[in-house]
Amino acid sequence: MLREFVESKHYKFAREASSWQEAIRMSCESLEEDGVIDKNYAQDIIDCVTKYGPYIVIMPEVAMPHSQEGAAGVHKTAIGFMKLEKPVSFDPDDPEKDARLFFTLASCNPEQHLNNMMKLSEMLMDEKVVEALLEAKSPEDLLEIQEKLLDK
Amino acid sequence: MLNILVCCANGAGTSLMMKMTAEKVIKSLNLQVQKIHHCSLSEGKSAAPQFDVVMCPLKFISMFAEAEQKGTKVIGLRNVLSQQEMEDKLKEQGIS
Repeated sequence: MLREFVESKHYKFAREASSWQEAIRMSCESLEEDGVIDKNYAQDIIDCVTKYGPYIVIMPEVAMPHSQEGAAGVHKTAIGFMKLEKPVSFDPDDPEKDARLFFTLASCNPEQHLNNMMKLSEMLMDEKVVEALLEAKSPEDLLEIQEKLLDK
Repeated sequence: MLNILVCCANGAGTSLMMKMTAEKVIKSLNLQVQKIHHCSLSEGKSAAPQFDVVMCPLKFISMFAEAEQKGTKVIGLRNVLSQQEMEDKLKEQGIS
């Protein structure tokens, strides 16, 4: 999965984001550049979070920005990766909702999406991989994590 | 045989994650499960009373108060990928 992020250029490394809204916009950039999603998708996700709260932070440090399956402006099924050096807060009252790792979901093919989600959940259930991703600073680091911890 | 519902706001991301965690937990606790259905909160709210167990992110448990009154066990999760948390909370509800 990390190799796919690198090969399809679905990644971004940044120092910080001024707000969670900005972080979501940034996390969508690599997917926008590749024609996976239109510009409206980032706003869709922001509207969802405004409406339902920061449930997209699925575990401490990890956000999974997404809207719904088959959302408007989604043309391919993919995941975009982003790493921030400085955590961004989604809920000032809950530090467990701070995030540095972003996995932005785009889906228009349910089967492919399910396959992506299985890979993503396997990866995030592995604490060593999450720790390594929190230290990653470049696409080369992603490839190294892939080789050392995921290709077995 | 248990029927389990996993719900998140849109039914496309977080609920799938919960479903995958649930599948692992079911195996490790050796639970007899008929089906796990994943869906959005709006669908889940009306469907919930037909299920034995509903799991959702902690923040959304109040949506299922009605189903809970009808006997459905409602579990809110802090970390939808934590097998440990899900196992502990199922056990607390007497499911093991």
